[in-house]
Amino acid sequence: MTAIIEAINLRKTYMMGKVPVEALCGVSFSVEAGDFISILGPSGSGKSTMLNLIGALDKPTSGTMLIDGVNVGKLNDARLSELRLKIGFVFQSFNLIPRLSAKANVELPMSVADMNKARCSKRAIKLLEIVGLKERMNHKPTELSGGQQQRVAIARALANNPRFLLLDEPTGNVDSKTAHEIMSLVHRLNKENGVSIIMVTHDQELARTARRTIKMFDGEIQSDMVN
Amino acid sequence: MKTFDILGYSFSTIRLRKLRAALTTLGITIGILAIVAMLTITQGFQVAVTDELNSGLSTNSLIVTPGSSQGGSEGGVTISLDDSGFKLYLNDTSDIQNLSPDIDSVLAVISKVGMVESDYLNSSVHVYGVDYETYARIYSTFDAESGTIPTNPKNDTIVIGSSVSDPDKNGTQFIVPGDSINLVWLNVSARPFENKTYTAQVSGVLGAVGGFGFGGPSDSGVYIPLSTAESFFGTDVCDMIIVKLTNSDEDTIARVTDLIRDHFGNQVSVISSTAIISLLSTVFTTIQLFLFGIAAISLLVAGISIMNIMIVSLIERTREIGILKALGMKSRTVLMIFLGESVIIGFIGAILGIIGGWITAKAVVWVLGSGLIIGTGGGGLAITPVLTPIVLFGSLAFGVGISVIFALYPAWRASKLKPVDALRQD
Repeated sequence: MTAIIEAINLRKTYMMGKVPVEALCGVSFSVEAGDFISILGPSGSGKSTMLNLIGALDKPTSGTMLIDGVNVGKLNDARLSELRLKIGFVFQSFNLIPRLSAKANVELPMSVADMNKARCSKRAIKLLEIVGLKERMNHKPTELSGGQQQRVAIARALANNPRFLLLDEPTGNVDSKTAHEIMSLVHRLNKENGVSIIMVTHDQELARTARRTIKMFDGEIQSDMVN
Repeated sequence: MKTFDILGYSFSTIRLRKLRAALTTLGITIGILAIVAMLTITQGFQVAVTDELNSGLSTNSLIVTPGSSQGGSEGGVTISLDDSGFKLYLNDTSDIQNLSPDIDSVLAVISKVGMVESDYLNSSVHVYGVDYETYARIYSTFDAESGTIPTNPKNDTIVIGSSVSDPDKNGTQFIVPGDSINLVWLNVSARPFENKTYTAQVSGVLGAVGGFGFGGPSDSGVYIPLSTAESFFGTDVCDMIIVKLTNSDEDTIARVTDLIRDHFGNQVSVISSTAIISLLSTVFTTIQLFLFGIAAISLLVAGISIMNIMIVSLIERTREIGILKALGMKSRTVLMIFLGESVIIGFIGAILGIIGGWITAKAVVWVLGSGLIIGTGGGGLAITPVLTPIVLFGSLAFGVGISVIFALYPAWRASKLKPVDALRQD
């Protein structure tokens, strides 16, 4: 198995006014292709900072962050954008574009990646079918339930055949029944389609559904164990 | 992201806030409307004035009048009101003729103000003593619409301008070829004043020339043979000498102008018709630039409002920009989306402005010509707004350009947003 993510002694320091705050204090771990891991921790543990680094949204202050073998810290703005095309981001609050239909939302990352319109459309329909929302593809996010919106967000994250799905509290904004449906879908994608999953959560029950859990506290890894 | 997709995305954001976009577009529309209306009217006015001048002027002629001239020959127009007592005489024409091979012919003109008395009409006229044949060669407008202009006129022959025959310009001719009219001139040089009269036979009536008859035939003029004028007015002093050149090159005009001036010891004014037209063209260009400047201010205001709206939009859409960047959109694409919005707004605004400006220009010209506003009706000039390709494409480019320039800063700010910060926004 090859490592899709390799973090070596990651440090991230923010300035709160004039006071430096260490959000990550030398974190190291790796994720193999096809893996399903959860990053668990309470608020302030550094898991959101970790999420931003894994999502190539931010660069570490020191240490090395390799995504698909590429050192994030050494990339310029344009190369970082290209790298993000390989990451399927699923946000806690869905973050769909409200004026676009479900299908157009799924098409958007493909359009960003210069895919032609016909292929975008065909693939968007297929992805919406996988997440069980083909019939509602012309509905706008405001016309969909929270669970449906999250499923559209997952379909969007899968659009460019990402190296891994990065889920930020995927069930944080939905009820328990919908949360179960969403997690079933995520597990199915991992098992049947071989999609690597990295899930950031503060929910211990949810974290236990992953194959491996990295527990974080005060910017450090407390434990890294197989469930 | 493909250009078409970028424009499509830009358009979807405009559609989201239709009223705001419409009001922003209206700013550009008003600015372009003002520019197009002002420029098309002034250009129409310039064309009308130049046409009038061209019909009354001969481009390869110079007009020599007594009076010292100052300045060089570059401008070509040096008119002085300084009366030094210098006079031009009829026999000066042969001297001028011999000055340069570029001179085709020379014509002396005796000009006085007199009265025409006929059975039905008494009117004040300008009386010109000219050699008919030479005058007709210089000015194509010295052509009879009715009757003839004889090459060897009798002493009592007279040719009259169109408004002398038809003062109301409604087709009713009070004087026609073959009529006898009395020409009356009051000699104020004699003591006591002397009223001189002779009866002339109308040989021809000129076609309508237009408002400006600078040196050339005028609608309110009457033309008698030079020898008759010399004896009737009792003078061999001429009021102007018209010099026809073999060509209308600027060099030739400048050279002959200098020769004539030097010949008369710099005591004459030499005016070329091309110089008058070029001077007028300069004046019109200045007026147009001035009006363009005024109209451009409103476009500038529209540009500032675009910047304002874009900054508001940027603040509202910060999170969306964060999402787009998290999905892999490059900063350059975000910049293009914002600029795309400004291009669409500028383009639609400019097109509407051009159409509106053209309609406004037509309406203004119609109102001015109809006499709805007191004192403007029945003016001599018929103005038609002129929309040149330069004004058309220039205002389109200007409208789009202003929109893009003022959108540059908000677009740049949007493109520079860090996704991690933008996603934190509510």
